Amino acid sequence: MRILRRIVASEYLVLFLCLAWFAALAPVAPGLATPRNLANILAALLPLLVVATGQTIVLITGGIDLSVASVIALASVAGSALVTGAGGPLAGSPLAVPAGILTMLAVGAGVGLLNGTCVAALRMPPFMVTLATMMFFSGLAIWSTQSRSIHHLPPGLLLAGGNVWISAAVALTVALAVHLVLRRTLLGRWIHAAGQNPKAALVSGVPLQRTLILAYLLCGLAAGVAALLITGRLETGSPVHWRSQLLDIIGAVVIGGTSLYGGRGAVAWTAGGVLFLTLIDNSLNLLSLSHFTIMMVKGSVILFAAYLDTWRSRLIAAA
Amino acid sequence: MKHLALLCLCAAALASNTCRPANKTSGQLTVGVAFETLQTEYWVAGFDAIKAELANRNIIALEAIADSDANRQLQQVQNFVTLGVDGIILVPKDANTSIPAIRAANRAGIPIVLFNRVAERTGVDFVGVQADNFALAKGTVEFMIEQARKTGTPHKALVVLGDLGDLNAIGRRDGFEAAIENHQDIIEVVARVPSEWNQEKAQAGVVNALQAHPDISFLFTSSDFLLPSIVTALKASGKFHRIGEPGHVILGGFDGDATAWSLMQDGYLDATGVQDVYFEAKASVDALIDSVEGRDVPELIRDPGFVIHQGNMHELADRMWGAVISRK
Amino acid sequence: MTAKAIELQEIDKRFFGVPVLRKVSLSVFCGETLGLAGENGAGKSTLMNILGGNLQPDSGSLLLAGQPYRPRSPHDAAKAGIAFIHQELNLFSNLSIAENLFLTDFPTRAGIIDRRVLRRRTGELLDQAGLNLSPETPVHRLSSGQRQLVEIAKALSLDPKVILFDEPTTSLTQREKEHLFSLVARLQSRGLTLIYISHVLADLTRLCHRVAVLRDGQVAGCGPMKDFSHDRLITLMVGRSLEVQFPPPTSAPAPEPILEARDLTRRGKISGVSFCLRRGEILGIAGLMGSGRTELARLLFGLDPLTGGSIHLEGRPVQHLSPRQRIARGLAFLTEDRREDGLCLDASITENISLVAAASYTRRPLGWLRLDSLRLAVAMIRERVQLTSTARDSQPVRTLSGGNQQKAVLAKWLLARPRVLLLDEPTRGIDVGAKHEIYTLIRQLSAAGAGILIISSEIEELTGLCDRILVLASGCLHDEIPKAAFDPERILRSAMAGAAASTPSSALP
Repeated sequence: MRILRRIVASEYLVLFLCLAWFAALAPVAPGLATPRNLANILAALLPLLVVATGQTIVLITGGIDLSVASVIALASVAGSALVTGAGGPLAGSPLAVPAGILTMLAVGAGVGLLNGTCVAALRMPPFMVTLATMMFFSGLAIWSTQSRSIHHLPPGLLLAGGNVWISAAVALTVALAVHLVLRRTLLGRWIHAAGQNPKAALVSGVPLQRTLILAYLLCGLAAGVAALLITGRLETGSPVHWRSQLLDIIGAVVIGGTSLYGGRGAVAWTAGGVLFLTLIDNSLNLLSLSHFTIMMVKGSVILFAAYLDTWRSRLIAAA
Repeated sequence: MKHLALLCLCAAALASNTCRPANKTSGQLTVGVAFETLQTEYWVAGFDAIKAELANRNIIALEAIADSDANRQLQQVQNFVTLGVDGIILVPKDANTSIPAIRAANRAGIPIVLFNRVAERTGVDFVGVQADNFALAKGTVEFMIEQARKTGTPHKALVVLGDLGDLNAIGRRDGFEAAIENHQDIIEVVARVPSEWNQEKAQAGVVNALQAHPDISFLFTSSDFLLPSIVTALKASGKFHRIGEPGHVILGGFDGDATAWSLMQDGYLDATGVQDVYFEAKASVDALIDSVEGRDVPELIRDPGFVIHQGNMHELADRMWGAVISRK
Repeated sequence: MTAKAIELQEIDKRFFGVPVLRKVSLSVFCGETLGLAGENGAGKSTLMNILGGNLQPDSGSLLLAGQPYRPRSPHDAAKAGIAFIHQELNLFSNLSIAENLFLTDFPTRAGIIDRRVLRRRTGELLDQAGLNLSPETPVHRLSSGQRQLVEIAKALSLDPKVILFDEPTTSLTQREKEHLFSLVARLQSRGLTLIYISHVLADLTRLCHRVAVLRDGQVAGCGPMKDFSHDRLITLMVGRSLEVQFPPPTSAPAPEPILEARDLTRRGKISGVSFCLRRGEILGIAGLMGSGRTELARLLFGLDPLTGGSIHLEGRPVQHLSPRQRIARGLAFLTEDRREDGLCLDASITENISLVAAASYTRRPLGWLRLDSLRLAVAMIRERVQLTSTARDSQPVRTLSGGNQQKAVLAKWLLARPRVLLLDEPTRGIDVGAKHEIYTLIRQLSAAGAGILIISSEIEELTGLCDRILVLASGCLHDEIPKAAFDPERILRSAMAGAAASTPSSALP
């Protein structure tokens, strides 16, 4: 009982949940524990890890970025359209691959900058700003491509997402970089302070506007990197990539333990949340449940995790 | 301990309630069926037909619906590979996006059949089973022209096009144009309405065209699922009349769904080109079994389909999927 | 004294493993007023929260009129006849008085709120509380004192037998306080049982029949009020006798100015304020609530824009600079409300203390923090402000007592080595011991040459510390009093006369 209390009170509760889930389902979900499936899980969680890492930054400031999924779609089609063998302006050029990658990152950073400017300088509520940019850029992506996917992409562009080891290296680099920014730099302190108490932060000389703009910019940039991975994995630039994944992104961050109210969060927690959601998806798929059953089970499991979290808060308060 | 125990219990209960597909009895085959969506009747009918076909042959079916998400479809196919299925039947999202999924099956040496839609053959191997959109649309429109000739007067025609990014839609459009080509003397196409497979767009387009050309008397739609929108537009212009009544618009469609069946029974619809879902399901499963057992399989199996019309509707009703599901 | 209204038996309560109450046993008799004294962190508020149903004791039992009493929520407590007037005001400022009073229990007729009954009953309650206001008045238009009275009216609406007051006078002016006391007297004459927590010993002497002193979660003394002199109360509270409350100055201010304000104006708040703060000087700002004291400090720090005038810091103009740039020039601002804009309550002690100075503990260009030297600096500054040594660096400041929280805010600013400090109510709501330690720190800073501006509503604090006092009223400088002429009565008269002369509407009902 004491060990259990320690586990529940732990920061890494979600990792224990992953272990419990894995141990419980491994005997019944065929192939769950095979090396091939573990590689599948890894490949599936990497893009989610990258975009959720960016989202963690924004959630810590007390904001939210709903536009990340549409940033992924827009960055994916913008970068792809530039270099596609089917009529892209840079097709065949030796600059095609770096230009495609840079375009994706620039689109991510650009939308992030726009979000951040609206939130910080114009003091608009993050939910409304990013809801609007989500609609606008998702519409832009679909309109500009006439809802068609873009193919015939140069192999170099697909390498980062197509090869699981390169994807892993990219994703871990992003996660580690954001972890260090949050934990070891002045900007990280400012990001936390902005979420913990913006008034106190302002009085203490924290440049709130700059901090918020940078937070949204980094979040957009991470979505740009995720777009690169997803485009490579599916060998397609598509205006509807990840359209239905927004709640997975925010859900993974929050299940990890980052607060929706700001001030509290960590990349390592988010990584746990990403693993948990991916593991649930994968194992339920292996059980050959229908998509709708999976959604229902996933909903229940997330609710249960949320319950455990409140139980944990009480446990910590009483300790 | 209570909570952890509860968690394990839930998981175990959940798992034991579901079938355990990998534990197959010797010789029994397992096939993964991955559909892109189940949002129209056509896909539901196809899905049910394949499952029925597999059940008939004592093959275990694993299901996965991607809900229009390419990423999810890739994971689902990878899961099939993990589970070691003997074959995969896939409805790809589009001609290109599903290539990584097909490649995953190729690498594992698992035969894969693409149902009703095909992908580009860029370094991947699969068997395509597909309706002959061109021939079937052409046949349907030719039957409509025959009806038009019987009236003895020239007709102005409207065609509702699909999403021209979809190879099926292009085939149907080309079939329509080919049929019209030799009959310019009595058929003049005055409106080509793009629908992008969207009901609202189709409805608005048809209403506009009927306003611009009130004398339209010949209408072909690239899919039956747009028929409700078209009927609404016709009613609004006072042009919805039974066959034989004055002012009847010669109406033709494609797919053979339940709406088409009821309009045909009520005497409004002249003809529709029926995709033979039962043939396609059977051909898909046959192709898989042939591949598993090492026999040669053609790269593309064409479903010739058939044109159903007032004259043959009662004989062919059993093969029209829309009629079958509306009788259930 | 007659029957016991409330009896506490061996109450234990721990937070985060730290004992806050240890075997507290206490009785309150029917119809009496019990004063509760003690330093912040002594456990007074925790005890009240247990009685009010906000917290549950870890062990021990409660008796209410002889019956076992185990409230699980404030709602339970209210049903049992216990009302709790909180330290922080708990009204919804966007709602009217009437809506606030009946929020949980609107009078209805056929499911629809009955406005007429609502108005009548609110009127009755406001009468009882001695407030002459319309029930429709939105709460945001009320002064702090009026809000406090509305809180009491709200408590009376539940027809309580026992009322708990937790520091009800912290945010009240002298006149509002008088008003509150006459209401307390009326409640006493109606035979209600009251428990009254306060730091102001004179108030306890005036209002209470008996007094109990808490120290470190235990009852240090309890008995009839008349047996406890102030000295004895303080001795019991801190466990030592604090003879000199205000440490004497060790040096005189230097002649050269360090902060000069000329003709500062912000429309509607401050008009034409000019003064000069010298190196090593402690300058006091006195004034009633709403006199523009806090607004003046915010202008000096750059949190609100000036509409006229100039500010010179060490001879250079700073009025166009942001707070961040002023901090870099050596300015610090300890705000009035440490929970609102002084601290990140859920962040750790280290994070809070290092927030201002962290910028100077970085390696460029990435802003990489030099965590080791920062940790060392935090440890040193913690020692300097004598922050409780039992708290870990990683502990959230929320778990600290008021005094230690204030020390954390002070540490945050001291770490940035400021040359001018603006201190707005530096000792509000903290205990005697911590107050004394903060006074000593202020003295040390001024002896080291810092210029210090103190805003305080405690006149004794200003006269005890300052070299000079400015009296602010209605946004204007009304008086300047040199040390030789310090006289609490003159200061108070000056502040009140200034307020009355310019804005009669600010006077209370």
